[in-house]
Amino acid sequence: MSFLRACLMALLLPLLAAPALAQTASFEDLVAALPEGSYSARGAVVGDIALTGDPRAEAILTALLDGTLGVIAATGQVVTLAPAPADALTGAPVAEAGVAEAKVEKIRVNNGLRRDIRAALGILTLSDPDPAKRLAAADAAFRAPDAAQYALLDAAFQREQDAAVKSRLAEARAVAILDGDFPDAEKRAAIDVIARRGDADAQRILTPFAASPDPDIAEAASAALASIERSRMLWGYAQNIWYGLSLGSVLLLAAIGLAITFGVMGVINMAHGELVMLGAYTTYAVQETIRQNAPGLFDWSLLIAAPLAFVVAGAVGVAIERGIVRHLYGRALETLLATWGVSLILQQAVRSIFGPNNREVGNPSWMSGSFDVGQMTVTWNRLWILLFALAVFAVLLFVMKRTPVGLQMRAVTQNRPMAASMGIRTNWVDALTFGLGAGIAGLAGVALSQIDNVSPNLGQTYIVDSFMVVVFGGAGNIWGTLAGAFSLGIVNKFLEPYAGAVLAKIIVLVAIILFIQKRPRGLFAVKGRAVEG
Amino acid sequence: MTTLIDRRMGIFLAGLFVLTVAIPVGNLAFEGKVVPSYIVSLLGKYLCYALLAVALDLVWGFCGILSLGHGAFFALGGYAMGMHLMREIGDRGVYANPNLPDFMVFLSWDELPWFWMGFGNFWFASLMVMLVPGALAFLFGWFAFRSRVTGVYLSIITQAMTYALQLAFFRNEMGFGGNNGLTDFKDVLGFPLQSDSTRAGLFVLTAVALAAGLLIARAITTSKLGMILVCIRDAESRTRFLGYRVEGFKLFIFVVSAMMAGVAGALYTPQVGIINPGEFSPANSIEVVIWVALGGRGTLVGAALGAILVALAKTLFTGWFPEFWLFALGGLFILVTLFLPTGVLGLIEGVAGSRGRRARRASAALEDGVTEEGAKA
Amino acid sequence: MTVQLLLDGVSRSFDGYKAINDLSLAVDKGELRAVIGPNGAGKTTMMDIITGKTRPDTGGVWWNQTVDLTRIDEAGSARLGIGRKFQKPTVFETHSVQENIALSLKAGRSVFATLFHRRTEAEAARITELLRLVRLEGDRHRPAADLSHGQKQWLEIGMLLAQDPELLLVDEPAAGMTDAETMRTAELLRSLAGKHTVIVVEHDMEFVRALDCRVTVLHQGHVLTEGSLDHVSANPEVIEVYLGR
Repeated sequence: MSFLRACLMALLLPLLAAPALAQTASFEDLVAALPEGSYSARGAVVGDIALTGDPRAEAILTALLDGTLGVIAATGQVVTLAPAPADALTGAPVAEAGVAEAKVEKIRVNNGLRRDIRAALGILTLSDPDPAKRLAAADAAFRAPDAAQYALLDAAFQREQDAAVKSRLAEARAVAILDGDFPDAEKRAAIDVIARRGDADAQRILTPFAASPDPDIAEAASAALASIERSRMLWGYAQNIWYGLSLGSVLLLAAIGLAITFGVMGVINMAHGELVMLGAYTTYAVQETIRQNAPGLFDWSLLIAAPLAFVVAGAVGVAIERGIVRHLYGRALETLLATWGVSLILQQAVRSIFGPNNREVGNPSWMSGSFDVGQMTVTWNRLWILLFALAVFAVLLFVMKRTPVGLQMRAVTQNRPMAASMGIRTNWVDALTFGLGAGIAGLAGVALSQIDNVSPNLGQTYIVDSFMVVVFGGAGNIWGTLAGAFSLGIVNKFLEPYAGAVLAKIIVLVAIILFIQKRPRGLFAVKGRAVEG
Repeated sequence: MTTLIDRRMGIFLAGLFVLTVAIPVGNLAFEGKVVPSYIVSLLGKYLCYALLAVALDLVWGFCGILSLGHGAFFALGGYAMGMHLMREIGDRGVYANPNLPDFMVFLSWDELPWFWMGFGNFWFASLMVMLVPGALAFLFGWFAFRSRVTGVYLSIITQAMTYALQLAFFRNEMGFGGNNGLTDFKDVLGFPLQSDSTRAGLFVLTAVALAAGLLIARAITTSKLGMILVCIRDAESRTRFLGYRVEGFKLFIFVVSAMMAGVAGALYTPQVGIINPGEFSPANSIEVVIWVALGGRGTLVGAALGAILVALAKTLFTGWFPEFWLFALGGLFILVTLFLPTGVLGLIEGVAGSRGRRARRASAALEDGVTEEGAKA
Repeated sequence: MTVQLLLDGVSRSFDGYKAINDLSLAVDKGELRAVIGPNGAGKTTMMDIITGKTRPDTGGVWWNQTVDLTRIDEAGSARLGIGRKFQKPTVFETHSVQENIALSLKAGRSVFATLFHRRTEAEAARITELLRLVRLEGDRHRPAADLSHGQKQWLEIGMLLAQDPELLLVDEPAAGMTDAETMRTAELLRSLAGKHTVIVVEHDMEFVRALDCRVTVLHQGHVLTEGSLDHVSANPEVIEVYLGR
């Protein structure tokens, strides 16, 4: 250990301008040495204190920086003055009276020493046992280039074991190299290291060097900037695609139930958005119950809410089908109007029961927070919703293609009288199909409660968008819905940086309106003679 | 061939005439004691809705185009008139800028955007009230009808159209007052909007517009073109094989209807005193459909009656038990579609006319009954 | 004789299914032609192609040897003078019988022509004449929805005649008619030939025999054979695919 420290000390060139105390000096001795000597000598002492890695070091150095470190002239005892006088080493209170009598002197610092203290504080964090803190310290050093910190950073780099922190330290060190007076070769190497980051910070740091008087450096920096520009553009695309996928997954969830009722049954269900809303309110009710009775289960709330939301929305869906829609088969426009009536009633019912205001639905711990992938940030709730949407889609596809129920549904879709004459109970299949579509709307509500306000108007926000998805993707084809949802989501997010969110949405709507002119039956239209006319 | 004013149209127009005389007289002659001033504006608003309903009935009732975006044409007409009223405020705004409406001063704009040019002139604005919705309808219809977008697909894209417009008008950068819309109007053609006589005048004007709208609609629907519209509604493909270019007929009636809706909106703005992007909301447009369905599709007069009935019910309900209005409206949607396929008018005439129907058919005298009676739900 | 209608190597498929496969057919001006074939032979698709409802994938369709029918829509073909009667009688149910005829009459088809149209004496007379011909004079004010299936067939024939087309495409006119009516229809179609070109698609062999004209047999979207009814009836292939069933 002492050998390592010796090496580090050797590297602390700027701090070692004056002879330091014996390298084996104890922390206590070092602290005791703080009040006396020239500023530069004390700067070296500060560096030594930091290198001890002693847990008390940070508090003492911070106090020194703040001007709240003093020394009792009579005894040489170093004390902290704020909040109450206390021994700097032990933390034992020093009687106020004693302080007053004994004449305490503040330990003075000048600007040079302050810089040394800051650097030392930096290195303190760089040797923190917690890798996350070391990473943060390296980042801080990266953002504030200072050649003076080179030695510290280099020392920390040499000793670092954690790969992630080490690479970050390398970058920080490179920044320090660029800031200082180093040979060209080292500077070019440093530029390479920074360029590899490829983010906005790297770009900001390298930009001035592109105009460097040294042609080699300027060339290297320009090349590096170009490569950063490329990588940033790619990451920008990646981020947009991610946002687009995320929006697409929401659209998919909202639209897929609609795709079943509209696409498969030819029924326009304007109350679809309200079924989504019911799912969200079911989640709210489940969370409230859990909060009051079993707070420990909170992380499970969504898993409990999902089947309940499916059942609640599905039951309401079946009721709508049995009560209204089945009397209107073959009259799509009337169905549209009647289900709009249902949507108004459901909205008002929820408003009367839960009140008109937004309801708070919390994120379970596993849906909170985010993580970074390269230069893009991925939030957990969006990721889970994407996976959830895909899972719902997969299950639906399975139900439709591989189960007897799905077979009957498709049979009824294609030829109702024939299906009926083959013994399929078409009434039952209709109710089931509608209930399935509604139930999926309920599931969508559970997901949407995690990212959107839960209010009686929740459904209205999504109804136009989900219709657009179904129409764009092509009715009667749930693969079309998948493609429609994700392509609309991605196009929307790619337009947003240029046009702004609202204008992007308008452009997409207009584009779909124009698109329908070209392909009146959507992207993945079911072709054939049966459809014509 | 057929009479322009049949029995139901006659009764309605007579009733409208009585109202047009009685309401302003009751208000002005008795200084608001018999008919309070707010009632005049309220009824004026109802009549605007009635005209909008007639416009929708033209396309939906006769041609089978279920537009879920007619509120957009109404709102565009309203905005066109609102722009003129804003210009008439002149320097009486909060910022007292003689050249710019308040909201533009607030956005620190320096000059009037080009599309506001000319709206200071009342006649130009009045022309735009029809031309702007008409042009949008032409553009939209030209694309949609030519590529044979029909049925629910058409309904859904009309809804998307009004939704897109709503989003657009919410934007401050559009130059139409953003969220707040256009309001704080002072006067129209120099007559103060707050005065009773101006309100009464606007009411009479609206009644005249409604009567004119009904007669124009009736003239169109009883012409050969009107017959062809019904053909398109009932058997679009067959109509093509007779040599009629269906898209042209649809486009014509869609544009006429949009212009009528624009006029309704233009009369609405001064009487209500505000026009904002909320008028574009898809929910508004769907509500218009239920007015027509309630009154009776393809009856014109029924559509107007339906609008007035629903608007009246809304006023009463929101006064008495506001929380029940949406239940009532929602229930209305369901009940009308399930149990009243021919609307209230069909119900009344069905009861009253069941006695005479057989005789009328045999006598063959009633030629004009064909479209109305046979109109399918 | 000039060729009124020429189909030249026309093909059309739906999702891989070849409804029409290299079909060639020439019909002379004033000719009466019967087209027969089993279900799925492509008769309806052929009519759809002639009237511009469906576009062929390959091949040409020529009207009077000059006009390319593949570039024309339904309304355009009707304006050229091609009238079509559907297999399932399609009339405008909410309009009265006489309105159905009136709307079919040869007259301006544009939006404004119809908006300002006033019925002339000549038109009224023509309507009455046609109603008498199809024996619906007594029903002229009834909604077409009230007619029986056979009456709707007659009304549609009346509408077809009202258009006064150069070419009549008639799809199974005899369906739903009594034997006597069937014979009367055949007689009517025969009398139209000469002035008009007539193509009749029919299943009923008695009816085709009564038409007494050249017969084209379609099979799987292709012309199997052509000739007099006796000639095609003797063709073993025809017997196998159609008559022999």
